[in-house]
Amino acid sequence: MIATIRAELVKLLRRRVLVTTAVTTAVFSVASAAIVLISADAGVRRVSGRGVTVESLSNAGGGTNVFTTAVSFAGVFVFVVFIGLFAMEFSRGTFRTMLMYQPRRIRLLAGKLTALLAFSAAVLAAAELITWVAARIVAPTQDVATGSWVSADALGQAISDYGSVLFWVSGYALLGTAIAVVVRSVPLSLAIGIAWAGPFEHIVQDAWGAATRFFPGLLLEAFVAGGTSDVSAERALVTVAVYLAIAAAIAGTTFARRDVTA
Amino acid sequence: MNTTQSIQTTLSPNGASSGVRAGRPPALVVDGLTKRYGRRAAVDSLSFEVPAGAVAGFIGPNGAGKTTTMAMLLGLVRPTGGGATVLGSSLDNPAAYLGRVGALIETPAFWPGLSGTENLRVLATLGRHDPARIPEVLDLVGLGGRGDDTFGHYSLGMKQRLGIAAALLGDPELLVLDEPTNGLDPAGINEIRQFILDLADGERTVLVSSHILSELEHVSDWLIVIDDGSLLYQGPADGFLGRVPTVIALAPEHPGDLDRLTALVRADGHDPRREDGGLTVPVDEDDARGAAAALNRSAVEHGIVLAELHVRRPSLESQYLAAIGGSR
Repeated sequence: MIATIRAELVKLLRRRVLVTTAVTTAVFSVASAAIVLISADAGVRRVSGRGVTVESLSNAGGGTNVFTTAVSFAGVFVFVVFIGLFAMEFSRGTFRTMLMYQPRRIRLLAGKLTALLAFSAAVLAAAELITWVAARIVAPTQDVATGSWVSADALGQAISDYGSVLFWVSGYALLGTAIAVVVRSVPLSLAIGIAWAGPFEHIVQDAWGAATRFFPGLLLEAFVAGGTSDVSAERALVTVAVYLAIAAAIAGTTFARRDVTA
Repeated sequence: MNTTQSIQTTLSPNGASSGVRAGRPPALVVDGLTKRYGRRAAVDSLSFEVPAGAVAGFIGPNGAGKTTTMAMLLGLVRPTGGGATVLGSSLDNPAAYLGRVGALIETPAFWPGLSGTENLRVLATLGRHDPARIPEVLDLVGLGGRGDDTFGHYSLGMKQRLGIAAALLGDPELLVLDEPTNGLDPAGINEIRQFILDLADGERTVLVSSHILSELEHVSDWLIVIDDGSLLYQGPADGFLGRVPTVIALAPEHPGDLDRLTALVRADGHDPRREDGGLTVPVDEDDARGAAAALNRSAVEHGIVLAELHVRRPSLESQYLAAIGGSR
C-alpha cells in the first residue's frame, strides 16, 4: 500500500497542483473567515446548526470555530470531489492501467484513498491556520474579542476542531468513493451524490425531523457541528462509523471482484 | 490440454533467428480458459502455450476473444472457467507474476493533465520499478524529446508509444501488446515492428495481437489463431504458413494459347489449375524461382509469350482467411 500512496502523491505533489490548491485554500479561508465574522455581527445565531455569535467567537475556541463553521458548508463539495476523483479513474481507464502495476486491488483502493486523505489533512491544517489568522485580523472590526484565542485552551480546541473536520471530510470521502466504485460512471455517480447529499436528505429532513439521526450526510453535519437538538455528536459519530464500515466493505468487495474492462 | 505443438527452435518467416529456446518452460500455458457473459462465451475453453523467448502473434477477427484473453492473463477479468500459468505462476495470483509482465491492453490510459514523464513516474512508483529507466524507455519508443509534454496533448500515435514505454518500465520477461500499432502512421508501424524484433532478444517473450496481419507475419515466430473464442491454430508461424503451397501464376499474352500452355506445364511434371485466364502451378517453396524460370523458358521455346509470371507465396492473411473461412 505504501507504493500506492507514494504513486498517488507523485500526482498530488506536482507544483501545478500545489499552487492551485494553495491559492484556492487561501482564498476560501480568508473569504470564509470574513463571511462568518460578518454573519455573526449581523445577528445570525446559527450557521449550519452551530452557534456562531459575537459572544461564542470571543471564547478560546472562537478562532477555529470560524474554521469549522466555514468548512461545514463545503460538505457537498468534498463529496463531489471524491466521487469525481474515483469515478474518473474508471472512465479514463487508469484503474485498468494501475492494476497492471498493483494487482492487489484492496491495497490499490485503500492506498489511493489514504493518499488523498493525507493530502486533504494537510490542506485542512493549512486552511485552519489561514482562517485563524484572517479571522484574527477581521475580528476587531466586528467587535469580536480575540484575547483568549491564544491560550492552551484555544490550542486544545483547535486540535479538537481539526480532528472533527478531518473525520467529517474522511466520512464524505469514503461515502463518495463507495458510490464511485459501485456506479463507475462519472455523470451518474455525480448525479446520485449531488442529489443525495444536496436536496434529498434536506427535503426529507424538513418533512421528517428524525432523518438527522439516520442519514449519513445529516449525521456528518451534526457531528462537525458538535451535535444538534436531534442527535448528539457522540451518537452521530457512532452511527456514521457504522455507515462508513458498510461503505468500505461494499467498495472493497465490489472493486476486488468486478472485472475491469474499461 | 490441446497443446500438440512442441517447443522448438524455429525461424521466423523473414528469416530472422527466433528466440524460442528449447528446455525452458513455456512463458504462458493457457488451459481451458473460459469467459462467459451471460450465455455468450467470449472465450471458450481456450488452450495454448507460448514458448519462452517467442514472439507470438495472437490473431483473430474482431470479437474473437483476444483482448478478453489478454485481460484475463493480466488479472483484469476473472475467468469463468479454466486456468493459466504465466511465467510459472497461477492466474489465480496475478501479484506473483505481474511485476515481471509489461502490458499494453486496449487504448493507452493515462492521466491527461500529467506529462509523459510524470505518468511514467506514477506507474514506476506504483510498480516499484526503477524511475531511472524512464528516460531510457521514452528514448526507446521515440518520445525522448516529448516527455515533458502533457499526455492530453499527445497524438494518438504518441499515446500508443507512451503505452509501450510504460509496459517496458519493469524490463519485463513477458510483454503483452494488444494492437500496439493502433493510430501509428506507416513509418511508426515499421518502427514498432523493428522495435518488437529488437525486444525479442531470446530472453523476453512477446505476445502481440494485431488486426494488421502483415505486421505479425514479419515479427512472429509463433502464432495463436482464434475465432469465436476457440483455438484454430497454435504453433510455429512457418507451420501455419506452410499449410498452403507456394504457387507460380502465369498467363499467356493471347488467350488462345492457354490450352497449349497448360499442356506444356503438364509436360514439365506440374499440376496446373486454371484461374482468371491463366494458370496457377503449385511448386516447391525452395525452388520457386527456378521453376518459374523453367516454365518461362519452355513457353518461349514453344512460341508462347507470357503476359504474367510471378511467384505467389502464402501470406499470413491468405492462410488466416482460409483458416477463418474453414472454421465457419
